[in-house]
Parts: sequence; structure tokens; C-alpha cells
Amino acid sequence: MTPDGGLSSTGSLLAVAVGCAAASLWLLLPRGESGLRERAARRFGMLLGAVALALFVATGRRLGGVGEEAVFLIVALVAVIGGAATVVTRSPVYSAIWFALALAGVAGVLLVLGAQFLGVATIVVYAGAILVMFLFVLMLAQPTGMASYDRVSNEPLLSAVAGAVLLGLLTLFIGRLSAGPGECCAVPSKAAALAGSGQPQAPVAPEPPADSAGVDPLAANHVARLGGELFGRHLLAVEAAGVLLLVALIGSIAIVSRTPPDERADAAAWRANA
Amino acid sequence: MSDWLPSPTTIAALAKIGLLIGGLMTAAAYLVLVERWMAAWVQDRKGPNRVGIPLTKIRLFGLGQPLADGLKIILKEDFTPKHVDKVLYAAAPLVLLAASLAIFAAIPFGSVLPPLGIAGLPDPVPFLVAPALDVGVLWVFALSSIAVYGVLLGGWASNNKYGFLGGLRSSAQLVAYEIPLGLGLLGVVLAAGSLKLDAIINAQAETGIWYAFAQPLGFIVFLVAAFAEAARLPFDLPEAEQELVGGYHTEYSGIKLLLFLVSEFLHMVTAAFLIVIMFLGGWHLWGVTGSGQEVTWLGAFLRFAVLSAKILGVILFFMLVRWSWPRFRFDQLMNLAWKVMLPLGLANLVTVATVEEFRPQLVEALGAGAAGWVALLIPWGVFFAGWIAAGLLTPSGTDNTPIRTHGPLDVEHELVEV
Repeated sequence: MTPDGGLSSTGSLLAVAVGCAAASLWLLLPRGESGLRERAARRFGMLLGAVALALFVATGRRLGGVGEEAVFLIVALVAVIGGAATVVTRSPVYSAIWFALALAGVAGVLLVLGAQFLGVATIVVYAGAILVMFLFVLMLAQPTGMASYDRVSNEPLLSAVAGAVLLGLLTLFIGRLSAGPGECCAVPSKAAALAGSGQPQAPVAPEPPADSAGVDPLAANHVARLGGELFGRHLLAVEAAGVLLLVALIGSIAIVSRTPPDERADAAAWRANA
Repeated sequence: MSDWLPSPTTIAALAKIGLLIGGLMTAAAYLVLVERWMAAWVQDRKGPNRVGIPLTKIRLFGLGQPLADGLKIILKEDFTPKHVDKVLYAAAPLVLLAASLAIFAAIPFGSVLPPLGIAGLPDPVPFLVAPALDVGVLWVFALSSIAVYGVLLGGWASNNKYGFLGGLRSSAQLVAYEIPLGLGLLGVVLAAGSLKLDAIINAQAETGIWYAFAQPLGFIVFLVAAFAEAARLPFDLPEAEQELVGGYHTEYSGIKLLLFLVSEFLHMVTAAFLIVIMFLGGWHLWGVTGSGQEVTWLGAFLRFAVLSAKILGVILFFMLVRWSWPRFRFDQLMNLAWKVMLPLGLANLVTVATVEEFRPQLVEALGAGAAGWVALLIPWGVFFAGWIAAGLLTPSGTDNTPIRTHGPLDVEHELVEV
């Protein structure tokens, strides 16, 4: 066992949390049954999900100020619950709405962390443009009832386990990266073992001591610096992406606006007669 | 324990939020009255002029009308039809109202207060809820795209064909006109070099040239797009009583309908704020308000008054347009967005970028005064050229002759055969 008892307990808490999250997702995913059993399973799944969230909150690191912490908790919970509900909900329109809520939560997290441009751009691009298109299509496509692929999840067990494994690994390694050089090697391997990765990873290069105390999330020059970076170092990539999108746009217009030739000839002939 | 007490910054922010929401809601109520007066004036009627102080005979020009209207609509039955999707039906007006109010976090409603000297509060205090938000213009954009959800969901959850069509029309219109709106904004952002709305006002105050004069084409494009985004006549197709009963709020009544109507009014107020801030100089007026960051109490009040007066002026213009113009047809609406406003907006953007890029060379070659005149004249030249081109090419004109693949005789022939 690790000499540092506190960290070890954090690791086991994390492991339990990941397990709870997986079980909760498995229970919540729609399986095409109905009635009492289904409802009981959903209730139990929600309970487990709440336990998992509480455990994740307990294992996380503190941010500092009370207000900041509260705001972060709210937006993070909105993002996580929205994301889970997107997968679990049966109605496609509701899925899209939950997804929008998850995006709003993510944007909120970005705003709290001081990445103002990314936060607002997430809303403008995803919630404002792409998801509205989705909603359009969903609302027009299914006026009545739901298709079978909406009511039944294909591989509930596999997907829940895969999601949980990904979640555990990401939490573990992001936590290790941001924990600083002193603590990185003391992180217990228990959660990693549960997540199916028994191999000790290559030693992570210790981060340069980030002056995390000196970073002001509200510094005014963030957007300016991001813009300078995008249009300085990454100018070519930005331009290439722009051209790619333009080509796609023109291509879609060219495909859509192609009228069948016989129709066009008919219309012309009729006009010439009239 | 001092950790638990709200800091002066938080208290100041809460005070501003309270002031802003209270002011906006009251203003929205009274603007409805103003709108009815305006309608009456245009149509040569008297308009609402009777409701004054209750239980007395004092009429006060009908100033009690908004109160009476509000009470009436709040006390009405909040009826939920059986066939609606209950959750989204209730959520839609809330989403719309929340988005329309949250926009104002990034919109300045005055200049700055003189230094107060309170410890912990950065001086001077700006008239802005979120002064540290560096992406104010984008925030406005993001929140107005969230407002689309309210309309779309309201139409869909109503489970009513008129409501659904209204919601679809509205979201198509909002999505289409976001592009010219953005192009109009981009010109201003380019010229001011900032995404903060208060910095944009400061840039206009320093030079004394409002962007409506420096970028006339951008101003027109933005104005038209703002009308469309606020869904005011001639762009009120989402509601179009004669075609869609009431559009997306056909099935709503009582307080929920009130929320929808208030949000629509707030959209107009937002549009007026943006037009004034981006193109009409914000709180700046030559020879009255000064242009620096140091103000006295009188100066702060004067700036607030100038901004409010300009906004009221723009709102009155909105209302006058409403009672003087017929509604567009949907294809005309889309043609205007994609074939007229989009190219004009692009032309404006290219002009502004070119002028701003070569301004130093111009100043070097001609001197500051002449360079300023040239930088003003080029956009006006482009403005008239664009106007003439739009008029000559008439891309928004429509061919109303029916397109049929069969002539009328053919159809008759087929019918006889059957």
C-alpha cells in the first residue's frame, strides 16, 4: 500500500465512484421494457448516479473561494447530468435539449476557468447553430411516436463499462497531471487497475511549476492572446479549415440545387407555349 | 469568516442587476403604452388615455394602463391544453425570457460613476453588470442564439400546426439574419479593435465620429438585421396573425403568454441598445458629455440621460416603422437576407478592413485631417455604389408567374382520360 494514507483513500473513493457511475448508466439506459421493473431500475440508477456524483465531488480538489466553488459545482453538475441524460433519454427531442443543457454547463465551466472566448464560442457554434439544425430535423422527422432505435439501447452493458473506464482513466491522469510533480508518483494504482490498465504508465514528465496562484481568470487580454496565437502561429491551419468549410458549403449547394433535366425542359417548353 | 461575506464587487454587481431588471421590466410595460399611443397617432385615433389612479377620477393621460394590463393578464387563467408536451411547454417562455434578460449582462447602460472610494471596489464603477467580460459582443450573440430555443420549443411543445409553423419560420428567420447582423457587428469590432461594448463607445467618443457615419453600409445592414432579429414588422412573420393565428404562442395564455410578449419587447430594447451603442455613439454627444473616463456626478448623469434618450429615439423609430410598413412574404424575407444583406455586409466588411489597414499610410501621405476625410468618403462611396447595385440588380424581386410542368390544358386532358 502507499505510504500516504490520504491519497490511497482518495483512489478507492474514485474507484467506487467510477463503479457507481457505470452501474447507474447501465440501469438507466433504455432497454425497451416497461412497467414496474423498468421504473424501479431507473429509480435505483438515479440513486447510484447521485452517489457517484457525490463521490466525484468528494475526491475532487478544492478551487479556493466559496462563491467560485459553488458556481463551479453548479455548472459542472449541469454539464455532467445533461450529458448523462442525453444518452439515457428516449425522446430524441429531449435528448437534444439535454445536450444543449450539457453544452451550457460546459460553457459555464469554461467561463469560470477564465476561458471566456471558448465558453461563449461553444454556445454560439454548438448550441446556437448546430443543435438548432438538429432540432429542426428531429421535429420535422418524427411527428408521431418513436422508432425502435430510440426506445432500445443496443449494448447497454458494454457502453456503460466503456464509458466508465474512459471516465476513470481521464480523471486519474488529468488529476495526476495537475497534482504537481511532488504528488504525481504517489497516486495509487487501484482505480487504474479497476479501469483495466494494470501496466504502470511511463513516468509523466513533471510539469513546470505553474504559478497557479498568479493566474487571473479574468485577465482582459485572454481573447487578444488567443486571437494572436490563432492568426499568428496557426494561421495556415485556420485558413485551411475555413477553405474546407467553404468547399463543403458550395458542394452541398451544388448537390441540392440540381434539378432533374427532364423537369427543367418541361418547364421551359410550357413557358414557351404560354 | 470574511470569506463568507459577499465582497463589494459582488454587492455592486447585484445592485446593478436589480436596477437593470427593474428598469427593463418597467420600461417594457410603459413602452407597450407608448406603442399603443403611437399606433393611435398613426391611425388618427385617441388611444388609451383613461386609466389613471384607481378609485379617483384622475386620468393622468392613461399612465395607469400598463398596471391594469399587467394585473389583468396575470390574473387570467393559466390554461394548459391537454395535447401539449407539458415540460417543454412550461420551459419555453422561461428560456426565452432568461436569455433576453441575460443578454444585458454585457450591455453598458451608461458610462461610469465618479470614484466612490469604497475599499475593495475598483474605481471608477462602470454601468455594466459584467465589466470583466472581454467578449461582450460574442456574449450578446450567444444569448440571442439561445433565445431561438424558446421560440422553437414553444412552437413544438404546443403540438399545434400554427404554433409549429410559427416556431419554424421564426427560427429560420433568426438563423438567416444572424449572418448580416454579425457582418454589421464585425465592421464595428474591426474599427474599434475590441469586443467590449463599452470600449466601442469609448472609441467613438474619442474620435467624435460615430460608426453610423464612418460605416453607413454596415449601419443599414445592421439596422435591417436587428429589425428581423427582434421580429418586428416588417419582419413579424413568426406571428403573422392573418396566416398563423398567433404563431408560436398560439396555445399560450395568461402569465406564460405575458412572458413571451415581454421577451419580444426586450428583444426590441436589446436591438435599440445595440444600434445606439455600436453605431450612434452610445452615451457620447458632441459638446455635452465629453469623452474621457473622468466624470463628475453631473457628467455621469448626462451620459446616462443621453444614452437613454437615444435608445428611446430608436425605439420610437421601431414603432413608427411597425405602423407604416406591410409585412414581407417569406421568400422576400429570405431573398433580402441572402441576396441583398449578405453581399452588402461583406462589401462593408472589406471596405472597413481596407480603410483600417491603410490608415497609417494615408495619414503619412496626406496628413491627419485629409486622411480622416478620405477614410470617411470611401465608405460613403461604397454605400452609394452598393445601394445603386442593389437597386439595379433587384435580387430581391420575385417572379410571381406560376411554375408548372403541365399546362392547364394538359391537366384537363388527363382528367378526361381518367
